[in-house]
Amino acid sequence: MSSTAPSQRRLQKELMSFLKEPPPGVTVDSDLTGQDLSVWIVHMDGAPGTLYEGEKFQLQFKFGSKYPFDSPEVTFIGGNIPVHPHVYSNGHICLSILTEDWSPALSVQSVCLSIVSMLSSCKEKRRPPDNSFYVKTCNKNPKKTKWWYHDDSV
Amino acid sequence: MSKKQLSAVFVKMGDKVPTTKYDPNVNQDELIMKQQRLIEKEIMDSIPLVGDKEDFSSLEGEYDGDDIYKQKVKNLAKNYKYIRRTRPDGNCFFRAFSYAYLEKLIDDREEFNRFRELAAKSKENLVALGFPQFTVEDFHDTFMEVIDQVGKHHSVLSPGAPAGEDLHKVFNDQGNSDYVVVYLRLITSGQLQRDSSFYQHFIEGARSVEDFCHQEVEPMYKESDHIHIIALSTALGVGVRVRYMDRGDSAEVIAHDFPEGSLPQVHLLYRPGHYDILYPH
Repeated sequence: MSSTAPSQRRLQKELMSFLKEPPPGVTVDSDLTGQDLSVWIVHMDGAPGTLYEGEKFQLQFKFGSKYPFDSPEVTFIGGNIPVHPHVYSNGHICLSILTEDWSPALSVQSVCLSIVSMLSSCKEKRRPPDNSFYVKTCNKNPKKTKWWYHDDSV
Repeated sequence: MSKKQLSAVFVKMGDKVPTTKYDPNVNQDELIMKQQRLIEKEIMDSIPLVGDKEDFSSLEGEYDGDDIYKQKVKNLAKNYKYIRRTRPDGNCFFRAFSYAYLEKLIDDREEFNRFRELAAKSKENLVALGFPQFTVEDFHDTFMEVIDQVGKHHSVLSPGAPAGEDLHKVFNDQGNSDYVVVYLRLITSGQLQRDSSFYQHFIEGARSVEDFCHQEVEPMYKESDHIHIIALSTALGVGVRVRYMDRGDSAEVIAHDFPEGSLPQVHLLYRPGHYDILYPH
C-alpha cells in the first residue's frame, strides 16, 4: 500500500522487467521512456521467416493514470506502418486485448508479443477493407473507436 | 444495475428524444462512449465501492408499491438482518465476496490461517499455469498486504481503528480494492483452466475455456456468472450462499450454495446483474 500512484509504480516495475527480458526482436527506447513513464517508444523488427522480415517498426504506448486497470493506447508510429489487415494506415491497430479484452494481468511485454504474433501469422499484406473511411473519420485515440473484432485467424 | 443494462436504458431513453437524428459528420462511436463514461461517472460519484452496513428496512424501501418484491424482501428478512451494497461496476461479485469473507476472517483466526497459507501459495500455482510472473506478482503482493492487514488484528491489540474500519478503508481505496478484484479474477481463471474439462460444459458456443477466461474472467468490469462463482469458491475453499431475487413467482428467495453442499461463509444477494452482501441473523 505504497503512496506512489499505482500506475507509476507498476510502470516502473514493467520497465525494469522489459529491459531485463525483452521479447525477441523488440526493444524499448529507455532514454525516452526513463524521462516520462507515461509514454513508451518501442522498436520492433519484423520476425524472420514472415512477410515482414527485414522491416523495422515503431510502436507508441501511452498510459493513463488508471493503468493497468485501463488498457494502454497503442499505435504504430513513424515512417513504416506495417501493411496488415488489422493495421490502419494511421497506425491504429484492431486487436481485442487493446480494448475490450484488456486485462490488468497483461503487460507491455505481452502486448508486444501479441502484436508480433499478429504480424507473423499474416498471409497477405493488405490494409483493412475500410481503411480510407476509418482513417478519415476516426479519433486520434484508437481507444475511442468501438471496434468490431472479427476474423481471429490473422 | 449492471453496465450492460445501463446502456440498454440509455438506448431506450434515446429513442424518445426526437433530436437524436443520425448525423454522418458526428463520430457515433465517440458519442456512445462519451455517454457510457458519463453514466459510469454518475455511478462512481453516487455509490461507494463498498457501502455501510444498512438495516434491512432500507431494502424494503426500494420496493414501495411493488408487492411481489416487497413480499420477497419480507421473507428474506427472516434470515438476514443487514445488507451492504457494492458499486455496480461489473466487479461487484468479486468485491462483495472478498469484503464479506475478509470481514469474517477478522473474528476467525483459524480460518484466517488456513486462508493465508492458501493465498500465499496461489501465486506459484498461477505462474505454473502460464500466467506472466511479473504481473501476477504485482497483484499478489497487494493481495497479501490486504490479508495481512486483517491478520494483524489477531496478534496485537491494535491501537488504531477497529479492524472493520481498516478493511472498509482499504476496500474503498480504488487502487487497493481493484488490485484485490484483479487477483481474484486471476485465481478464478486459474481454477477454470486447471479443471477445464469440467468447466467446458458450462460454456456456451464453441469458445474454449481459455478464450472464455481471457474474455470474460480476466478483464475488469466483466460480470460474473455461476461459472465464476463455482470456480472461485472451489479454488479458495470458501462456501458462498447466493440468494436470487428476481421477478419469479415464488415468494421465497431461492438460495444456491457454491460449491454445492458447502457450509456458507459468505452470503450474497443477487438481483439481475448485481451482487450485494447479506448478513444473517
